[in-house]
Amino acid sequence: MEQADIDLRKATYRRFVELGRAPTWAEVAATTGVGEDDVRAGWRRLHEAHALVLDDAGEIRMANPFAARPTDFRVEAGERSWYANCAWDAFGIGAALHVDSRFETHCPDCHDRIEINIHDGQPDDGSPVFHVLVPAVRWWSDIGFT
Amino acid sequence: MLLFRSEAHVDRWLAGREPGATIPITKLAELAAAWWHDRLSPDWQPRSREQSQAILDRLGLTGDFWRLG
Repeated sequence: MEQADIDLRKATYRRFVELGRAPTWAEVAATTGVGEDDVRAGWRRLHEAHALVLDDAGEIRMANPFAARPTDFRVEAGERSWYANCAWDAFGIGAALHVDSRFETHCPDCHDRIEINIHDGQPDDGSPVFHVLVPAVRWWSDIGFT
Repeated sequence: MLLFRSEAHVDRWLAGREPGATIPITKLAELAAAWWHDRLSPDWQPRSREQSQAILDRLGLTGDFWRLG
């Protein structure tokens, strides 16, 4: 990965945190001084390298652990709220921000609400379990499903 | 990559489908910390597949299911 793309990725994540949502390529271009077309091309390379996930329109769908769209993993961290892409990412937002966090989701079986508070990286409820359906080798074959 | 009330809920939800892997939420917390802690670091560098695999291995997430490639 070229240094310019690493820098673009860092700027994109920084904007995501600052805005509390996914930035548009125009917003990242305005911050970095990189042309909009160059941001789009850089994002595409980052997408191919699995460093970002774009949607069909070329906008950000996931900047893992952050999700650009509402999901069933609502996370509160650092006095902000976010959506995570999955349970792994729901823990990851607090880990990435280095703050305590909490999140809500629902058991896919019984649909009961599950609320987890995370303090110093540890959940306050140790009873739920995490299930991964897809083997690791296929995680990126369909990252949305994974 | 979902969170269930318990293993019994996973089994019921699978309804006979081939299961994946189930780990305790405490192990997930360890995994997330190891995987994501540097995600916003100014010094972030892309991780190689071998480096990612080493994180899984270190946490005991081994075997074919957890092989990244």
